[in-house]
Amino acid sequence: MKPFKVAIPKSVEQASRFQKSDDSPFIAGGTDLLARIKEYVVQPETIVDLKRIEGMTGITSTDDGIRIGALTTMNEVATDGSVTDDYPALSETIMNAATPQIRNMATIGGNICQKPRCWYLRHEGYSCAKNGGSGCWAREGENEFHAIFDNQVCAVTSPSNVAPVLVAYSALIEIQGGEEKREIPAEDFFITPDQDPGREVLLEPGEVVISIHLPAKNRTKKWSYTEAREKQSFDWAQASVTMLYDRGGRKGDHRVVLGAVSPAPLRRDDLEKILKSGSLDDAMIKKLQMKIGDGSHPLSQNGYKVPMLRGLIAQGVRNISGRKEG
Amino acid sequence: MDKKPEEPPEGVSRRHFLKGAGAAAAAVSVAQLPSEVQGSNGTEDEPTILGPGPVPIQLRINGVDGQTEAAPSTTLLDLLRDHQGLTGAKRVCDRGSCGACTVLLDGRTVDSCSMLAIDAVGSEITTVEGIGTPENLSDLQQAFIEKDALQCGFCTPGMVVSCTALLKENPSPDREQIRRGISGNICRCGTYQNIIEAVEHVSRKGGK
Repeated sequence: MKPFKVAIPKSVEQASRFQKSDDSPFIAGGTDLLARIKEYVVQPETIVDLKRIEGMTGITSTDDGIRIGALTTMNEVATDGSVTDDYPALSETIMNAATPQIRNMATIGGNICQKPRCWYLRHEGYSCAKNGGSGCWAREGENEFHAIFDNQVCAVTSPSNVAPVLVAYSALIEIQGGEEKREIPAEDFFITPDQDPGREVLLEPGEVVISIHLPAKNRTKKWSYTEAREKQSFDWAQASVTMLYDRGGRKGDHRVVLGAVSPAPLRRDDLEKILKSGSLDDAMIKKLQMKIGDGSHPLSQNGYKVPMLRGLIAQGVRNISGRKEG
Repeated sequence: MDKKPEEPPEGVSRRHFLKGAGAAAAAVSVAQLPSEVQGSNGTEDEPTILGPGPVPIQLRINGVDGQTEAAPSTTLLDLLRDHQGLTGAKRVCDRGSCGACTVLLDGRTVDSCSMLAIDAVGSEITTVEGIGTPENLSDLQQAFIEKDALQCGFCTPGMVVSCTALLKENPSPDREQIRRGISGNICRCGTYQNIIEAVEHVSRKGGK
């Protein structure tokens, strides 16, 4: 690594002000940024270390659900009683991600802000729409693990296992820039390249994710998180399906969110409507399977993701119908 | 051929050289190291800025407080190996995917290649050297020998650290739990089965 300076702010305000004037990257757990520095994909003169800022770790109950500090490690989130009891899909998706060591280091705030795992984007030799150039190498190149939805401008997939689950639970992402705080629904926080190819999340310069708020309304729903990947450990999902099923059935407020098949988590209203149409049986599975590939534009090597999604959603319906009321 | 390999002459092996260099740097910083991490410009309004040159860093490793000087961009792994002479943790992938660099940070396994040494200030660091020594092996290290749980040995320090953490958290893990416990450590010789047996052996005897 090229040696760099480390700025250690004492507060979010300091971190925010410094980063805005300097454009230095933030570091939390470090598992993403250090790898990109080692690959010479980024060569910052200074990085801003958020780890020493107090009050950004831990999980607290609120009037409406729970609030997770952005610096809480993935393992701390996944094993917290309030998460395993009330937001089990979040625990499940984290335990599927990375390795025990990484889950002890990586923070949930860093997880949702990590850069995509496109091998062209992470190679110093390639310029593309995402890093200030134009075009997408993956569209005509090696695209086995790339997006099948929303892939016209850039075919990266959202790398965060947590992101689609946060969208399903209607999480709010709490952000601070300077002294200003704002909350953005997770569904709006993760953006696609046609909105802005240069970034994956709706953070302005100087803004820091400080916490994630999971509202109470979705916690009693039946749930399923299914994921496919090539290796049992240290691998990214090729496709995932997060489902929340409201006990209201036909009148229920259901959620179906696809992960790792598009540049941002993909909520599917059309599939949620199908969940309202009847009981969770084989006919329902068939309807969902017929529809789940709608709108996809597979590239030369990733057409397998459509049948993969069909398998995952079938398993999802079976998980839900076999699960007791939450 | 039964002669033991001779120790390399003093001062020429890479390991001895690095050990010496680490000790010298530490000796310099002892006198000038009052706080955990020293930096410049640290006021109430501005962040402390460290580097890019070496700064004194105070770490607690294997129960001993020590100081060393290293650039703030130094990973914990490089600091342990190149500045402290603790070469048990191995630098293999250097990207957090193989687990050969695994150490304990406050009792939890981490990939020391993928974090900055300055982020370990204030934490208790345990390397494989702190788990046992050739004269005083831990139960698990002894079981690795008895169950033939290594071939080339390169993954072994990381495996021992991960399995030690696993047994501390769960003294009677089943096979699936052991598999999950070592799912962040790659053994390219494929000795997983014997590693699992070594953990089960220690678990049965109630050791650690």
